Amino acid sequence: MIAAYGLSKFFPIRGAFRSTISLKAVDDVGLKIQNEQVVGLVGESGSGKSTVGRCLIRLLNPTDGEILFDIPDSEVVEYEKARGEAETKRVDAIADRFSLLRRSSSELQSLRRLANIVFQDPYSSLNPRMRLADIISEPMLSTRFCSRAEAEIRSRELLHEVGLPEFFEDRYPHELSGGQRQRVAIARAISTNPKLLILDEPTSALDVSVQAQILNLLRGLQEKHGISMLLITHNIAVVAYLAEYVYVMYAGKIMEWGEKQKVLRDPQHPYTKALMSSVPVIGETMTRTILRGDPPNLVNPPIACRFHPRCPVAFDVCGWTAEEVAEDLEYLLAGKYYGTFGDAVRVTTEGERTLTIQGTADAHRIRELVGLENQEVRSLKSVQAIDVSDGATVLRLYEPVEPEMYPAPDGRQVKCLLFRPEVSAPAADG
Amino acid sequence: MADALVIRDLHVQFHTRRGVYKALNGVNLRLRRGEVLGIAGESGCGKTTMGLAVMALLPRNASFPQGQIIFDNKDLMNLPREYWERVGGRFNPKQNERILRRVSKAMGRIRGVRISMVFQEPMTSLNPVLSVGFQIAEAIYVHDPALLARRVLARTRATPSQMPELLAILGATRDDEAAVKEFAAKHDLLGIEDQVLSIWRRDDVHISRKEKAIRSLAGQQIRSLERNIIETVTRTGSIPPKFSRVPVLSRVVRRVFLKEGYRKARELLTSLGIPHAERVLKMYPHELSGGMRQRVVIAIALVNNPEVIIMDEPTSAVDVTVQAQILELVKRIRTSVSAAFIVISHDLAVLAEVSDRIAIMYAGRIVEVAPTDKILRNPLHPYTQLLISAIPTLEGKPVEGIKGEVPDMRALPAGCAFHPRCPFAFEKCHEIIPIDLTHDRDQLVACWLYEAK
Amino acid sequence: METIKEEKGRFDEWKLSARVFFANRTAVAGLVIFLLFVGDAIIVEVAPGLVGVQYPESVVPPLFSLTHPECVNQAPEPPSLAHPFGTTQYGVPGEGCLDVLQLVMKAIRIDLAISLFIVLVGAAIGTVIGVVSAYIGGLLDEGMMRVTDVFFSVPFLILALALGFVLGRTVLNMAYALIIIWWPLYARYGRSLTLSTKEATYVEAAKAAGSGRLKIMFKHIFPNVVPPVLVQISLDVGTVVGIFATLAFIGFLPSNALVPELGALANIGLNLAPLGYWWTVIVPGGAITMFSLAVNLMGDGLRDVIDPRRRS
Repeated sequence: MIAAYGLSKFFPIRGAFRSTISLKAVDDVGLKIQNEQVVGLVGESGSGKSTVGRCLIRLLNPTDGEILFDIPDSEVVEYEKARGEAETKRVDAIADRFSLLRRSSSELQSLRRLANIVFQDPYSSLNPRMRLADIISEPMLSTRFCSRAEAEIRSRELLHEVGLPEFFEDRYPHELSGGQRQRVAIARAISTNPKLLILDEPTSALDVSVQAQILNLLRGLQEKHGISMLLITHNIAVVAYLAEYVYVMYAGKIMEWGEKQKVLRDPQHPYTKALMSSVPVIGETMTRTILRGDPPNLVNPPIACRFHPRCPVAFDVCGWTAEEVAEDLEYLLAGKYYGTFGDAVRVTTEGERTLTIQGTADAHRIRELVGLENQEVRSLKSVQAIDVSDGATVLRLYEPVEPEMYPAPDGRQVKCLLFRPEVSAPAADG
Repeated sequence: MADALVIRDLHVQFHTRRGVYKALNGVNLRLRRGEVLGIAGESGCGKTTMGLAVMALLPRNASFPQGQIIFDNKDLMNLPREYWERVGGRFNPKQNERILRRVSKAMGRIRGVRISMVFQEPMTSLNPVLSVGFQIAEAIYVHDPALLARRVLARTRATPSQMPELLAILGATRDDEAAVKEFAAKHDLLGIEDQVLSIWRRDDVHISRKEKAIRSLAGQQIRSLERNIIETVTRTGSIPPKFSRVPVLSRVVRRVFLKEGYRKARELLTSLGIPHAERVLKMYPHELSGGMRQRVVIAIALVNNPEVIIMDEPTSAVDVTVQAQILELVKRIRTSVSAAFIVISHDLAVLAEVSDRIAIMYAGRIVEVAPTDKILRNPLHPYTQLLISAIPTLEGKPVEGIKGEVPDMRALPAGCAFHPRCPFAFEKCHEIIPIDLTHDRDQLVACWLYEAK
Repeated sequence: METIKEEKGRFDEWKLSARVFFANRTAVAGLVIFLLFVGDAIIVEVAPGLVGVQYPESVVPPLFSLTHPECVNQAPEPPSLAHPFGTTQYGVPGEGCLDVLQLVMKAIRIDLAISLFIVLVGAAIGTVIGVVSAYIGGLLDEGMMRVTDVFFSVPFLILALALGFVLGRTVLNMAYALIIIWWPLYARYGRSLTLSTKEATYVEAAKAAGSGRLKIMFKHIFPNVVPPVLVQISLDVGTVVGIFATLAFIGFLPSNALVPELGALANIGLNLAPLGYWWTVIVPGGAITMFSLAVNLMGDGLRDVIDPRRRS
């Protein structure tokens, strides 16, 4: 019922003189939420998940991509077929009817009845100078859902529905606790009977016992009203509790998505695996995959697969650049292999695919080094050829391949070259 | 003594215009040497206040009507408690501030040296305009310049001929710390063992380079003025005023020590698993990622070999993958460091990973303390049970909230603070505050349900 | 359902604010003096007879002028029981010299009224302009900021004098001049408040709720901008009284103006003071100073109330 294709959001960064660089917060994200379904969007900070949520209801305008809203399943099938066959006219026709991005601002205003959002921080998402009744009524009045008198009555009902006493309608936010405020935010969000609710970290600012109440409230509301929900969170247990489908995001891209049980219990993408093993679970000491390094800079993200610099099973075409390999090689030559090569070696890069080790023509030894180290230092897997030229050793790297969403056998989709169908079992040796 | 820190019946109150908040109401805690004690609780339970109280970092509107914090056989809360008894319970902000300032001064030799703290937000605990290396070096320089002096002195005294012997010992005993120390002591080279071992234990450097580095430690040349300074400091244990007050001389002193501080900082960062430590030292906090910053802050806390390290929500401000890195780090340092840790967190799962024992706090009191696996397998206190059942798991088991609200800390309920929300409360709970009852030898519960009949 | 937090009325906040304010003794002193001045203004406005003030609008009775031959140039008398602050130059035939206390009481009312007028109008214009330009942003905002920059770059006294000469040297025109000088301050202030409120999550929530830009400005931005602006207004009244009096003092109002005004009175007194009649200048000048001081002290108290940290 809501489908996003190729969603991208770039934020321009003010350079010194011209703003030509941008922060690629969301890059080519595809998402589908069916009617009455709860979809979880999981990721760490900087993964772009909040931005996706805001783009879906056009609180932010995406830089690129398409969002089809309130679209029946049959039309979605049509649309995808038309896209696949590049039949622009048919694509356009469907988009005209359902695209959120083609709506004028007045149409958008009434569309806001159908979708709303609950924010993370209950302390700043409610206007401190407004009565609770007014806060809850605002969406109803602004979208002309009902009259003012009806809105007053409905506010009281909504307060009751989220578990707060009706006489709270005259209170102000500062008189409430965090959990109570979040309930008010939820009441506000469902006041116009929306079909879609975006929940941006709804319980991250709350204590565990309060979180449990809110989660149960959300579950109850979802079952009673049949609202579709996009649950954005970094807390995997919360997603496990409420969602049916899970999308995993990293550095602005979706890495894996599928049914919750499958993705969480049996993660396929290396990032998802690392993520799941990082979550501390009471009563289980697990072997962890500790990721080295940090999430990437989104202004200049890594090429091809954005996870490759930290991936424990990255291989030859995952997107290594000469610079990345050079850095790792230098570290090894100055450290572990100092004895073999001494001080005279230096690594330089030419372009993206070539690097030269000055000061040694011993290609054989280098090949040995690469062979020994490339399990630990994955960048070395991208070395395609080692030659000698002019008394220096030249290494050429494989051409990187941009990963797509590949289907996995059990119905999920994984954006990892390990799952590329046309190439049989690549040099990924675990 | 087997205990690193003992807190007995600690009461802390905050006096505000809106009333008196009773933040801590009789906290009893024993921190054993070398253990990791986790403190869990939700917001408002007083866990952060307790950490700050131990460090004497509470604001001027905090009063201490009762209780003791016993460290190294001395009660750190002597002054404020006596003042409170004298004043008879009437709060005067200016007076209180003066008392707290005196306590602060008295804590000068303890804070940062023997008890150190890691705060939640690494960005705000690091000075943004100073390089990271400087901040670590400064931490040593301020508290223990003699350590730095000894290191320099050891290097000047070591002769090149002694180094091969040292290398042999390292190889033969597989870098046994005691053996190296013995060697150093024998040759009057105390201060060199840390430097040698940290070079030797690096695993990213080739062995020939390590040997070269160790050999180069010996026979450092040093100007006579600097030698004078170093020797005086080593002898007296701190920087005498005649050096620190004189204008030009004090600068020279600072430079010498900070330089040495940088070396030690580099060793420390490397031992904490930070690659390219030399580069990192020169960077500023904002240039580092959150996980690195937290590691730097932990380094600063470790640098003076404290006996107690308090970590206040060390993983709350970072992502789950970085949290995993930090927890691994904590697990690693506790084996190599003899300090006792107090880890404060609202996340029971995090505490379950690193702690030996876990204490649960509610409304300013500790309601249950037990070894980790015991408390998680068999929680006794109703609050602990409800807390654990409120944590969602990956299996999606149903979660239950706790009915009611955290009590207003200005007007706590009579008897057990939890009784209004407790499903098992009975008459005694309404009237008398529960005492700590021992259950099954090493589990302490403050709940009348477990009163032995 | 959770148990309800105990009934904490909204009035608790007011009581707390009052307690914070009254804890500051100098602020209370300021408030007392301020109320004295305000009280005087109100009484003279409503029932001048009560305090024996006649013809409140003018220095001398209507139909007379200061240089009327029948106004006898009498020597001012020093403070005495009949005239607590003494008398000043000029007299009224048959009545004797003009009583300084009366004159000052009349002048306070005029000064306060004018200053309030200036600040309120200036604040209203400035705040609206600032909020709208900050909320809409873009070129409008940039342009507005350059305009205010221009106003800030000219020293205000010179600007006031220039405007006065253009418009004519009357009390009302001076007021207009000061309004023109004063609004850019509020434009800046309103703008900075708006910029910070604009980023608040509840504004985003309002957008998600479908509220249009105008509605957001009125329901969300203004209610959060107005209270700090009100505090600023009450502080500025004191400053403006001082400025206004200064302008009158340097002789901006024609010296034969009949409107009782503190600065003008001080000006007159300045000429008399070297002759030994000190009270003619000290009393009006003192009144100006006292008022400014009172407002400043009050402002301190108000800042205590607003700043959440100083509140505790």
